[in-house]
Amino acid sequence: MIIAKRKPFAEIKAMVAPYKKILIVGCGTCVAVCLAGGEKEVGLLASQLKLALGLEDKRLEIGEITVERQCDLEFIRPLCDFIADYEAIISMACGAGVQFIRELCHRPIFPAVNTAFIGVNNDAGFYTERCRACQHCYLGITGGVCPVTMCPKGLLNGPCGGTVNGRCEADPEKECAWTRIYRNLEQEGRLDNMRQILPLHPHDRATTPGTVIHPAYKRRYEAHE
Amino acid sequence: MSKLREVLSAGGFAVVVEIKPPRGTEVAEMLAPVSRLRGRVTAFSVPDNEHARLGLAALAAGRLVQEAGGEPLVHLTCRDRNRLALESDLLGAASLGLENLLLVSGDYITLGDHPAAKPVYDADSVQLLQIARGLTEGQDSVGLPLSGRPSFFLGAVVIPEADPLAPQLLKFEKKITAGAEFFITPPVFDLEKFRRWREQLPAPAVKILTGIKVLGAAEVEQAAAGTWRKVYSVPPDLVQDLAGKEPEEILARGAAAAGSLVQRLKRGNLADGVYLKAKGRTDLFQKILEAAGL
Repeated sequence: MIIAKRKPFAEIKAMVAPYKKILIVGCGTCVAVCLAGGEKEVGLLASQLKLALGLEDKRLEIGEITVERQCDLEFIRPLCDFIADYEAIISMACGAGVQFIRELCHRPIFPAVNTAFIGVNNDAGFYTERCRACQHCYLGITGGVCPVTMCPKGLLNGPCGGTVNGRCEADPEKECAWTRIYRNLEQEGRLDNMRQILPLHPHDRATTPGTVIHPAYKRRYEAHE
Repeated sequence: MSKLREVLSAGGFAVVVEIKPPRGTEVAEMLAPVSRLRGRVTAFSVPDNEHARLGLAALAAGRLVQEAGGEPLVHLTCRDRNRLALESDLLGAASLGLENLLLVSGDYITLGDHPAAKPVYDADSVQLLQIARGLTEGQDSVGLPLSGRPSFFLGAVVIPEADPLAPQLLKFEKKITAGAEFFITPPVFDLEKFRRWREQLPAPAVKILTGIKVLGAAEVEQAAAGTWRKVYSVPPDLVQDLAGKEPEEILARGAAAAGSLVQRLKRGNLADGVYLKAKGRTDLFQKILEAAGL
């Protein structure tokens, strides 16, 4: 899922300072699971803003709503009429949701979170990255460990010279991705995978902004992939 | 033709001295070892933004070494350039007659002095070796033909004390397949351990220049405090001997110890040469060479 972190309160407060009536929109999927932008976090941010502005004798009318997914047209379209009553929006979704609301609902929009990565939920409040969405997955040859994501240098042909005691040069708290790749491939009897030289990565596949059209829908969208 | 290649292929003992490109444009200090030592040293090695810290461009420094009468060994790191820039710099190096190259991935960007910069790593060191070899065969990385054929003597890094060692050795073999003609190691202090490592190498005949370093006061302090975290180890008795001494005395003793290591490496035929690191200081290099009888 997408992992995000809430922005510092002062930054959010400063962004909406010019407005008198705002709507905070939460997202009920990824950012709710990672405790950054779900219904509870919408309520918390609304209370923080009201308290802080109240102390400054300022008035801000705040609406609160949380939709299932801000990255889905189905959930955003019904929101647009509702949004029309507000001067500005704070979106607590990932960057995709923020942009999608702005595209569809035409109001000044401000993000309340910094989108961090595609990752996993290890335990309550503990999330780690796994995927850079590079559109060229190596996991089948690298023992289920992504060299693009899990090695800070994204090296494709083995460990750099900075591994110390199997730990990463860039962050000794983390295990070297290539130590793990080697171990997994050795356990699986597939070390030959590490002997082949992987060619230069095709970065053109991931030229932004990306588009994916399911083959069954090609005709509908007149796509020429 | 590269003097370094000549010495190594003739079975000679190469002496490479690492100089320090400045953070700035004052190059006199960087070049001092070249004018003083060029008769005694095979090549002068020019790091490329070493440890992810800003330094004058290695290509330019390499050219300055040539102009000062020395033979350069220019490093090229994948950290700071995409494949287009790497290839362009390789062609540039060839056009300047900079033949000896050390192709490296490069220390991670956040460890240096520009931690917020974008790390590139479009190629890794194995792929960069392939790219460079491709250029010598007359084509770029997408297979387009070149006008003229550059000539390179391609070097790479191998880590004798890597832990775990096995993945490092697989990469070492890939580097040879990709075009590495010689290797440089990080500093080595324990020659017996180094000898055992070299004996079990998958390609024992490959040319290896052993890193020999003069430790500075800060490094000695780190080792003495037990906070050492590098890809090479330092012997406790050396650290004990150097700890607490004045910085200049640490360097002087370190240079004497380095000289003795060089001499033993050469006499024992343990390496094809040495790669000397001594803060880029001519006086320390001289001490090492004298102590080594070179």
